[in-house]
Amino acid sequence: MAAERSGIPAVSIVATPFLALGQAVAKGLGINDPKLAEYPGVPLIDTDSELRDKVVNKLLPQILEGWGKRASTAVTKVEEPSFRDIVFRGTVEEVHKFFYDHLWTDGLPIIPPTVDKVERFLQFTDRAFDEVLGVCQPEYREATVWNVAVNGVMAGCRPEYMPLLIALVEAIVDPAFLIEDAGATPGWEPLITLHGPIIKELDFNYEGGVMRTGRQANTSIGRFLKLYMRNVPGCRIPPGTTDKSSIGYTFNVVLPENEDAVAAMGWQPASVDLGFASGENVVSVRSCISITQPVYTGGSKALNHVQIIAEVIGQSFAYWCWLGIRNLSWYPLIVMCPSVAKAIADDGWTKDDIRKYLYDHVKVPAGLVEKYAHNTSQPDFSLKTLVEQGTIPAEYCESDDPNRLLHVFIKPEWTSIIVAGDPGRNQSRGYVQNQRQGIPVSKRIHLPHDWQAMLTRARES
Amino acid sequence: MGSASGEEPVYEVVWPLGRFVTQPLELAPGLTDLNGKTVAELWDWAFRGDQMYSILNEELRKRYPGITILDHKTLGTTHGVSAKKFVADLPELLRAHGCDAVISAVGA
Repeated sequence: MAAERSGIPAVSIVATPFLALGQAVAKGLGINDPKLAEYPGVPLIDTDSELRDKVVNKLLPQILEGWGKRASTAVTKVEEPSFRDIVFRGTVEEVHKFFYDHLWTDGLPIIPPTVDKVERFLQFTDRAFDEVLGVCQPEYREATVWNVAVNGVMAGCRPEYMPLLIALVEAIVDPAFLIEDAGATPGWEPLITLHGPIIKELDFNYEGGVMRTGRQANTSIGRFLKLYMRNVPGCRIPPGTTDKSSIGYTFNVVLPENEDAVAAMGWQPASVDLGFASGENVVSVRSCISITQPVYTGGSKALNHVQIIAEVIGQSFAYWCWLGIRNLSWYPLIVMCPSVAKAIADDGWTKDDIRKYLYDHVKVPAGLVEKYAHNTSQPDFSLKTLVEQGTIPAEYCESDDPNRLLHVFIKPEWTSIIVAGDPGRNQSRGYVQNQRQGIPVSKRIHLPHDWQAMLTRARES
Repeated sequence: MGSASGEEPVYEVVWPLGRFVTQPLELAPGLTDLNGKTVAELWDWAFRGDQMYSILNEELRKRYPGITILDHKTLGTTHGVSAKKFVADLPELLRAHGCDAVISAVGA
């Protein structure tokens, strides 16, 4: 589109399953009928002769036609509802069906977003209902305080969650987060982590079963974010076209830190690691493509725990590290039950000591890194080439030996450690982030001026 | 919310989306004869785009002997950490190279 905008005709080569996505992205950029040349099938599966045949007989004619045959296809503005416009009247079931038919919900029942309910949410913010928080790709729609409240109602949130919901949306519309890539094929889910007194004020679960559904705050806010990503950026699985997750998994509930446990062991909450003051209400969002198996560790020595975490959690990160290496952007998360973190802390280790241990001891053969890249999307991925181009540091290609070992954790300081889960069990898990897409973005949660009084009234209602 | 006596409540609901704010964009004028023209190839370094371009270049040169092709290594990559900057700088880059048409690959 940048070329077309400059007056130069452009054609994009797109594989068949991604045509509808290409059209949707182009519409967001202002063109209804972009010039796409369809590559039939899956390029990485075809033989060389199949590829040649498709390029000569399918792609080339479409490219030439795309450059030559052109008509006005600019998007035309259509009338859309304004904030308080009523778009439907019906019973709960009828409202749900209407929203489902329009791809505005996730299939679970919704709370009907009436003006009255939305306004109750708006009471929990000092910000104007029509304030624009950002513009979201791929659909190029405005994120506003109003549509945060609407989706919060739908998701089953309580009105007093509103300050947190706004901060969450501020995080995902931050350009660094790359919300436009939320429909990428790895199928990453947003993972929300939470810090500060608001954890207790809103009754979040941060102990046993912390990542399960079952507590309203954790669950409904996790669902809210996915509903919001469906409705405003426009990330929808089929029959939608913009979520190209190949398999995917379902949404994460909110992960709050057990800050009492952290304080008791003499560590600082993870929000301090992110640059905030201890005790501030802070929410972070990051992408997550997978969760490792639960890892149990015992003993009073830090090394007992960290060794197994490195062996099992660390090694399960290895498969995806090639993207982190290529983009020099990757933010693993380790979640530890309080007993594990306490044993490590009692042995004198800091979180930085854990990070350094993981960096030093979790390694992967360079040949495997290249093999995984070749099979994902880049048949000619070469660490040597990337080093020669100056894209990655020389340490990634100190020899041609495919068995030379590379760090899986790219920089020690990029690993987050959060203490949560059952205080009565000794488990840890890892959360694999998706390189430059959905890097951790954190925002302060701004509370309304009379928060405590409002909260008291809300609890009584 | 309203309801008739003995009936289920009826809800009047609002729209969960946000205003569509893109600016309409017209396609650039077409180009039929590529002789004497310069074509730029952009690549995201994925999905065998280099192989596709190699074949395309052979075919384009057969059909249009006067064509100039700036291959995918000339302008840079459309993917990765610097992708946003690359796209922002692209119009100037295309002008500087005197490009008349562009191919971008591969969406997959």
